[in-house]
Amino acid sequence: MFRQKLAACAAAALLTMTGLPGLDGPNDLNARAGEMTNVAITYIVDHPAIDAARKGVVDELAEAGYKEGETLTLHVQSAQGSMPTQLQIAKKFAGMRPDLLVAISTPSAQALQSAADGKIPIVFSAVTDPVGSKLVKSMEAPGGNITGTSDRQPFGPTLKLIKQLVPKAKKLGVIYNAGEANSVAQVEALKAALADYGLELEESTASQTAMVGDAALSLAGRADVILIPTDSTVVAAIESVVNVGRKAKVPVFASDTDSVKRGALAALGFDYYKLGRLTGKMAVRILKGESPAEIPVGVLDTQDLYLNKTSAAAMGVEVPGDLLETATKVIE
Amino acid sequence: MSALAISGALEAGLLFSLVALGVYLSFRVLNFPDLTVDGSFPLGAAATAVAIVNGMNPFLATVVGMFAGGAAGLVSGILNVRFRILNLLAGILTMVALYSINLRVMGRPNISLYGETTIFTPFETLLDFGIWTNCVVLLVIALAMKFLVDWFLSTQIGLALRASGENPVMARAQSVGNARMTMIGITLSNALVGLAGSLFAQSQGVADVSMGIGTIVTGLAALIIGETLLGSIKVAWATLGCLIGAVLYRFFIAAALNAGFLGIEAQDLNLVTAVVVAVAVVLSQARRNSRFRLWPALRRAFAAPQPQKG
Amino acid sequence: MLSVCDAYVTFNPGTPLAVPALRGVDLDIEAGEFVTVIGTNGAGKSTLLSAVAGDVRLDRGGIYIDGHDVTAWPTEQRAAMIGRVFQEPRAGTCSSLTVEENLALAASRGGRRGLRTALGRGSQRRRLADQVARLGMGLEDRLGALAGTLSGGQRQALSLLMATLLPMKILILDEHTAALDPGAAATVLDLSAEITGEQRLTTLMVTHSMRNSLDFGTRTIMMNAGRILLDIHGDKRKDYDVPDLLDLFKKTTGSAVEDDQLVLA
Repeated sequence: MFRQKLAACAAAALLTMTGLPGLDGPNDLNARAGEMTNVAITYIVDHPAIDAARKGVVDELAEAGYKEGETLTLHVQSAQGSMPTQLQIAKKFAGMRPDLLVAISTPSAQALQSAADGKIPIVFSAVTDPVGSKLVKSMEAPGGNITGTSDRQPFGPTLKLIKQLVPKAKKLGVIYNAGEANSVAQVEALKAALADYGLELEESTASQTAMVGDAALSLAGRADVILIPTDSTVVAAIESVVNVGRKAKVPVFASDTDSVKRGALAALGFDYYKLGRLTGKMAVRILKGESPAEIPVGVLDTQDLYLNKTSAAAMGVEVPGDLLETATKVIE
Repeated sequence: MSALAISGALEAGLLFSLVALGVYLSFRVLNFPDLTVDGSFPLGAAATAVAIVNGMNPFLATVVGMFAGGAAGLVSGILNVRFRILNLLAGILTMVALYSINLRVMGRPNISLYGETTIFTPFETLLDFGIWTNCVVLLVIALAMKFLVDWFLSTQIGLALRASGENPVMARAQSVGNARMTMIGITLSNALVGLAGSLFAQSQGVADVSMGIGTIVTGLAALIIGETLLGSIKVAWATLGCLIGAVLYRFFIAAALNAGFLGIEAQDLNLVTAVVVAVAVVLSQARRNSRFRLWPALRRAFAAPQPQKG
Repeated sequence: MLSVCDAYVTFNPGTPLAVPALRGVDLDIEAGEFVTVIGTNGAGKSTLLSAVAGDVRLDRGGIYIDGHDVTAWPTEQRAAMIGRVFQEPRAGTCSSLTVEENLALAASRGGRRGLRTALGRGSQRRRLADQVARLGMGLEDRLGALAGTLSGGQRQALSLLMATLLPMKILILDEHTAALDPGAAATVLDLSAEITGEQRLTTLMVTHSMRNSLDFGTRTIMMNAGRILLDIHGDKRKDYDVPDLLDLFKKTTGSAVEDDQLVLA
């Protein structure tokens, strides 16, 4: 009896693979779509920063004339946080042979790099350490059929802002997920930058969103000020850090502007939408025929200041008037 | 679906058939719901990645990954039989601890193996099957492991292991040490999972500390689909079911990834997984009980609990 | 062969539910003796068997088998010297293993299990098949069938064969026919008598039937409230009948046996 079932299942699987209308993905996009440009975007998990970057890429492409549905066919797929699914998406996209592959996040970029094997140009975004992740040979000259943008940000301006708002600060607390490659790279960079500003680092880690509050509490006695890197685990629970900051009068700084809207005192903006736009610009250059090997990895050089006045008062910080004037956005 | 997409589904399926074999040993043969696998999978990957980056022969590095997975299993086994911690909890404790251990092993959350020599490298020139090379190598490994498990379960120790899992009282009366069998079984189970993690890292070119998420669910889904198709009583069929189930499961995912198919999109993947497993369970109940009726069972399953009278 | 010395067992000690199950049991069994154990519910007969097998640890006292002090041995270690048949047919065999695999498991009892094929070579397999044929239940044609597909009687017969497959010191039969229909029960009982008689096995059999306790074996002990009440052996045992046992019970305890099953079965 099971033989029949097996046969039925095998048949279903074969149909799935080969023939059913609407079920079958396009095989070779270049052959089929004619003048349409094909771009495939994948990312490891749905997350506000990743979504913003994706939107930036798509908007930039549209502005350069690659409008979805008109001149551009866009394929977007999320791996839902699963590495094996990311592998499958990467292979599927590589098999479609689009004009360009876009990966947002480190694991997605690594999966595409492996699946495309140099045959299809790749642009990545939101990768903090492209050299350490072996995506490129160097930031200046990537060398392979792959380049992109890094979300590594210089900590200098942020540290300067912290000293300006909290002059007495000696100990800088940082909360991050030690399991995120991006965060570890940021903390390393932060360590290197601290000495110039007379600050010492106090670390606290949280491997899950639920642990962020405790991590913040553990810093309350140790740190004069808390800085949150662009860490998806911690940013997801930024409110619990803000709570601790308000109660213990420890100013909380963030690295992304969205967190300021959610209660952080201030951030020198890391706007993933802008990073996405930058990525999109590189994508356009590659679509127009440039080789990724020679396009240096991009980083954002403009930073926007976001300030939260309510939090400033609650955390015992007085914001000078000139700073308020230079701020891109002030949240009351 | 392109040939590359099919090869991707096949590759992931064959990799996870090793997880399914491991889950079969723990969940079915030993009756030990072991959740260690979410940690031993990345551990196998981490150990192998570190070994390869430090210049170790990839074949040896793969064995290292397998042993690392086995060691993690042994820890869960010891927690359960020596310290009398509930089996479910023992696995969870090890899994949680492994997150930190994996970070320590790698020294950072992500190690890329891109461009390194892996066990697949020599076969690229030796076999020259193009995009199918990895699949062929993995198929050989998966089949080898299937037959190894079949053989092991037919040996004296293997028979004792099966008896211990199904009927510990009887096993003890036949001088089988249940504690020892639990430790042996969970060690072997996680060694298979560690091997899967090791091979995954090498075929993907990356070991990531968060790559273990959902390993157990995928393994269980594969196991249950296999059981639904081939039955679960005869060892050889059950292990074959692990292979077929894992590959089929990955093809279901591939189908779901093809946006437009029944309106399912990538964001519905987790729902697809849950439905696939639920349907497989319902079907396997139907197999066991010939008088089983699908609709009454579904109605029962979804019916709200009736308020008690009186 | 078997000595139980001053054995005490209390279940749930130190709680309001504390139940003294054995209260100073002394028992010496010679090699080759077939002892039937009878008693009311809660008399301690099953606890006594479990204590001998190792499933229940003594609070006080000792157990000696063939000169070894096994008091601290775990069940699986004692299993090398003890064959057991349980009351519940499912308990003694593995449902998902075949008849032959169940026997193979029993054939390696007490030995070091290794990576040799469990079913063994052709000659060993034939020897096992011959043993199965002697049960007279047609199981020799169903060696490849799963034990879970056998009837209760067949499973108990298989259990009995598994328990007696290897030379051992003591055979424990724990009400092993209680869960069977009368026909199957009689068959399995006769089979037990035949095998124990042939191999002159030292046997400890708990039964719920006074009739059986006198008809089978060479010695009968009656338990009550965790102690041995009566111990009937030698020539005088032949003169006893069920009413005599009931009288003795009443004389010693001051109350009549109220367990109908015990009397009528």
